[in-house]
Amino acid sequence: MDIFLQQLANGLTIGSMFALVALGYTMVYGVMKLINFAHGDMVAASAFVGLTIYTHVMGQATSLFAVIAIFLLSAASMACVGIILERVAYRPLRTAPRLSAVVSALGASMIIQNGIMLIWGPRMRIFPELVPQVYWDFGGVVISLIQVIILILSLVLMVALYLFVEKTRMGAAIRASSIDQDAARLMGINVNNVIALIFIIGSSLGAVGGLFIGLYYRGITFNMGWQYGLYAFIAAIMGGIGNIPGAMLGGMLLGLFNAFISGYVSSTWADAFTFILLIVILIVRPTGILGERVAEKV
Amino acid sequence: MLRKRALFMSLLSFSLFAGTVNAEDVLKVGVQAPITGSYANEGQGIENGVRLLAEQINAKGGVLGKKIEVITCDDQGTAMAAAICAKDLVNKGVKMVIGSYTSTCAEAAQKTYFKAGVLQTSDGTADSLTEKGYWTFLRNSFPNSAEAEFAAKYLVEVKKYQRIVVLSDFSTYADGLANATEEAIKKLGGNVVSRDKIKADSQNFTPVLTNIKSKKPDAIFFAGYYSDGGLLRAQQVALGIKADFYGGDANDNPDFVKLAGSAAKDAFIINVPEPAALPTPIAKSFIADYQAKYGEMPPSIWGLMNIDGMRAIIHAMEQNGDFDTKKAADYLHNMDKPLDGITGPIAFAKDGNRKGGAYVVKRIQEDGSYSNEYVQ
Repeated sequence: MDIFLQQLANGLTIGSMFALVALGYTMVYGVMKLINFAHGDMVAASAFVGLTIYTHVMGQATSLFAVIAIFLLSAASMACVGIILERVAYRPLRTAPRLSAVVSALGASMIIQNGIMLIWGPRMRIFPELVPQVYWDFGGVVISLIQVIILILSLVLMVALYLFVEKTRMGAAIRASSIDQDAARLMGINVNNVIALIFIIGSSLGAVGGLFIGLYYRGITFNMGWQYGLYAFIAAIMGGIGNIPGAMLGGMLLGLFNAFISGYVSSTWADAFTFILLIVILIVRPTGILGERVAEKV
Repeated sequence: MLRKRALFMSLLSFSLFAGTVNAEDVLKVGVQAPITGSYANEGQGIENGVRLLAEQINAKGGVLGKKIEVITCDDQGTAMAAAICAKDLVNKGVKMVIGSYTSTCAEAAQKTYFKAGVLQTSDGTADSLTEKGYWTFLRNSFPNSAEAEFAAKYLVEVKKYQRIVVLSDFSTYADGLANATEEAIKKLGGNVVSRDKIKADSQNFTPVLTNIKSKKPDAIFFAGYYSDGGLLRAQQVALGIKADFYGGDANDNPDFVKLAGSAAKDAFIINVPEPAALPTPIAKSFIADYQAKYGEMPPSIWGLMNIDGMRAIIHAMEQNGDFDTKKAADYLHNMDKPLDGITGPIAFAKDGNRKGGAYVVKRIQEDGSYSNEYVQ
């Protein structure tokens, strides 16, 4: 039983990271019907930006204030990158065929990935131990402080996002734009601003996910965005792409599924089973687990 | 438009010519190493070392009157890129290839070099590298089987562990070392409670480690690379698995300690002695030159092993008085007296294995430095 609970804790930690990244995919898709393939690489970039802020801006301070500042500054920087990305790579192609935008997204992904390599180098960089190594042992189930932080902060961010989209006027504008951009424009909604906002939110959440990856796993490489981006993308599709609670659910499910398959079957087969699960879900529910409310996609 | 095109064509032909001119006046040395990717640290160490040695030899007039030209190909630590590199380097007319760092990459390139008669010297420790009968392959490190026997003996007979876990990734080197170690442990009557595999670079090893935890091991032997080893150690400590951690030779890299962070303390690494501890005057002067040129220590002993391989081949060519690779290989396979190397005396057995082999068990201290726990 303690093994089961331990795998559950592992799965929830990694799942909440997937969920944070998946939100970026799903929000952009919801409004623009575009898979932002550069999102995974933005996540990787944020880990490197965080590292640079730590060494050069914060002077390697490890106080609570410094950690919060690193999160805020990284999220702000990635939000700027997100806006630039949308302006340069996606806005000129908004009326172009969808395939052109997808190719543009793939190109942006390569540019960001190689940009990271040119700026920070091809070597693995080591993230500092910003969170003290504190562990609690509950009768064989060990949970670390960093796991608790990741889980709680992810949940807070996700609930806040959900409330923002469902309860505020800006949220209503986002939902309206996702249903019909032209009609939303006629109703006086500035769709360009909405799309910029989507990129700001998605990139900032991705940035937090990237910093979590750095804090939890320590080693960051310029090409890690591909791996996390792929998992998050699968999570978004599983939950129903375009659906915000779906991305959260998909991320958590994927994390748990991965942990249990690695733990009880074989870590070798974890990826294969993940894709089998994806195929099964797409066959049984082509719109994803929560994707039935087609009219209200965000 | 037409003029632009003509200009382009003439530039193209010029650059093609530039490549072929002087082909006979230089000795081309290929470097096949992971310059980017997870093992970039080691790959760049190999390239830096080769370029330094070439510079030193060229300053003394080159090899038999020919200057050395170094051509690097980045194999990214993947078999696919390694196979492409091998073809590329052969096409560029290299006489010898230094590298690669990983056994997988060395193995993927081996056949191409063998067919082209190009000498290859690699620090890859997988036993399979020398089991194919390629006369072109010269191993400049010691094979896995030697390390496996040492590790098994230490774990079973010296430390008397009762429940040992053997862990590896899927690479040629790691899988080979882990299998050999498991076999050697069993031969000595030791108890291997679990033989698990991880996917290199996947970062999340907690599911596998949680399984290992349930087996209640007292020692974990990890055959694999430092980029995974450091994370494994950190996650092992985080999960509260009390077993002693032993990393195989490829964990011997400063990044292991950085990745593991505070968990690195009291982990053990089994390897040949480290560069700073190398006693010979050749080693001291080469490492001093390396530090002067690049401003850092060589990343590990592996780059230096490769340099020794290169020195041995050049030594053989100088002794033979020509650049014939077959004759150089014959010379190296039949040396009476070993050549003084940076990493100790170098001599090769008939199958291309380096003779000898000495291992130490190193304990990682609180500040990240090593202390020798056990010397063979």
